[in-house]
Amino acid sequence: MIYPKKINASKGEIITRIMLAISIIVAIVLTIINKITNPNIPWAALANSGIIYIWIITIYSIHRNINIAGHVVLQTIAVSILTVFIDYKIGFRGWSLSLAIPIILIIANLAMLILTIVSHKKYLRYAIYQLFILIFSILPAILIGERIVKEPIMGIIATGISILNLIITIILSAKDLKEAIKRKFHT
Amino acid sequence: MSEGENLKWRKLDNSAKIFPLSAGRKYSTVFRISAVLKEKINQKILEKAVNIALEKYDSFKVKMKYGFFWYYLEENNKEPIIEEEKDYPCKYIEPSKNNDYLFKVTYFDTKINIDIFHVLTDGGSGVVFFREIIYTYLELLHPTVFNANERLTRKIDYNTEDSYLKNYMKNSKGNSSSKKAYILKGKKMRLGAISAIHEIIDMNDLKKECEKYDATVTQYLTAVLIYSIYEANYKKAKSKKPIKVCIPVNLKKYFPSKTMSNFFSYITLEANMKGLIEKSKNNKKEIKENLNSIDNNCKLINYNFNLFDSIVEFVKNDFKEKLTEEEIIKTMSANVRLGTNIFIKVIPLELKKALVRLSYLEIRKYTTITFSNIGRIGIIGKYKDYIEEFLMLIAPEPVEKIKCSGCTFENKMSFTFTSILNDNNIEKTFYEFLKCRGIKVKIESNGVLDDIS
Repeated sequence: MIYPKKINASKGEIITRIMLAISIIVAIVLTIINKITNPNIPWAALANSGIIYIWIITIYSIHRNINIAGHVVLQTIAVSILTVFIDYKIGFRGWSLSLAIPIILIIANLAMLILTIVSHKKYLRYAIYQLFILIFSILPAILIGERIVKEPIMGIIATGISILNLIITIILSAKDLKEAIKRKFHT
Repeated sequence: MSEGENLKWRKLDNSAKIFPLSAGRKYSTVFRISAVLKEKINQKILEKAVNIALEKYDSFKVKMKYGFFWYYLEENNKEPIIEEEKDYPCKYIEPSKNNDYLFKVTYFDTKINIDIFHVLTDGGSGVVFFREIIYTYLELLHPTVFNANERLTRKIDYNTEDSYLKNYMKNSKGNSSSKKAYILKGKKMRLGAISAIHEIIDMNDLKKECEKYDATVTQYLTAVLIYSIYEANYKKAKSKKPIKVCIPVNLKKYFPSKTMSNFFSYITLEANMKGLIEKSKNNKKEIKENLNSIDNNCKLINYNFNLFDSIVEFVKNDFKEKLTEEEIIKTMSANVRLGTNIFIKVIPLELKKALVRLSYLEIRKYTTITFSNIGRIGIIGKYKDYIEEFLMLIAPEPVEKIKCSGCTFENKMSFTFTSILNDNNIEKTFYEFLKCRGIKVKIESNGVLDDIS
């Protein structure tokens, strides 16, 4: 092999279609849950715009050859701060902490999971970014513990998904991690 | 280069002027030369080798700067970035991510690559610089085997003059064809993917086959390429437009020049397929002879012997007609006149850029495909023993979706397809054709498209 492994065009096409189908299904399910549970607050619209946003960012990043994982972490933090700011400016009803940030974290975790799957077995590359997102995902848990958040369900889901995602990444990258430790600490 | 505010600078040569005006992510105008060695690449040593080679060939130690009317090159004092290959080949070189350099050296396993923005130089001079990197790398890696001083007693003698201006003829008339070319049909790959398929051809087999047709290697492979395009793409599209193949020509073979800047021109072959099919129908007497030369395991079902023979005849005649000093001067002079035209010169750079980008899609419609054969890469003495093969690649574009390139090292010619098309039908037909002719071919690729075997 004289080239680094690149995803085969037809496989890439299939993965893109599967991801698109998953995105559409998630969007429909979120909308249905929103309609059944809490029709007065259109949080599903926010989540769905998040999904569209992630697609735009991913396509842009690939085209511009940007580190997508780094980009996801940066965007997660930036958009979270922005939602808190907007919430604060319009009277702080707490939706940014109870809904927006958990949704952003779920989407970020989804993006990281996709990256890990399509990274040609170089899982370790994304483990550090995954760790950043996990640290950030602890925030909703802390807020729930401190009783600052009144509706904890989304926050719990977000933290749970984040922990699960990191576990998947660690399992996948265990071999690489062992190899890296061996190389760095050899005597 | 001229001295000014302590930093040397030089104007772009006549060919180079157009590249930065049109270049971007879609039109990278980058070519790559790779050397596959016999042992894993050592990054530290490669870094040293590149720096030493840069000291000798400082025409590469430059960055591109904006002028009011044209871009220009200025000395670059930063260190070049050497890293492991991650991206697709021949991608646009973003100067801001590359310490402003206009070339990029990468490595992967046993392979060293250099991607060069065409503004710096052409394939021929690119090979000279790359060869220096390879020589130096091997000398640093195996100091007991190689004596660098021995090689360096030969003086490096080059300049960066604009050889176009020195050799063009002011009053020579152009010879451009006004006919638009057949544009390859097919779905493009997504997200900036580029496929690279190398067909490593046994040179002895290829030469024997060329002798049968009394054709040169470039002529024969051009004919196979036209035939493959016809079979795998053109036939289905039922187009009436000609298949036009652009063949770059190294002008140093025609004019004395020691420049390390661009000094190339091109000829464009115009294959009118309808005419060639008609002609092939009257060619029946050769069928038996052709059948005898076909490999028994040939997988090409509708192999049209007579059409190929007509194509070879056409290619040979067109080469004879167009590859003359007089014709080459005509093409070169027409291009130089464009760059030296006072009305074009005085247009501000930003406006020039906008105009070129607007017209570029239209301009590109006059070529179906480019095939650039840089020929034999000569390597001295023991250095050869450490090299497996050389590869040459050129960047495909939205209109010219496939580009072909070739180079020869020892007994291997690597013919490369770089493509943004989502199918490998042309590459496969080309491979099958050579196999059918009994020529040994090995395939290597970056795996973006399905395997050929």
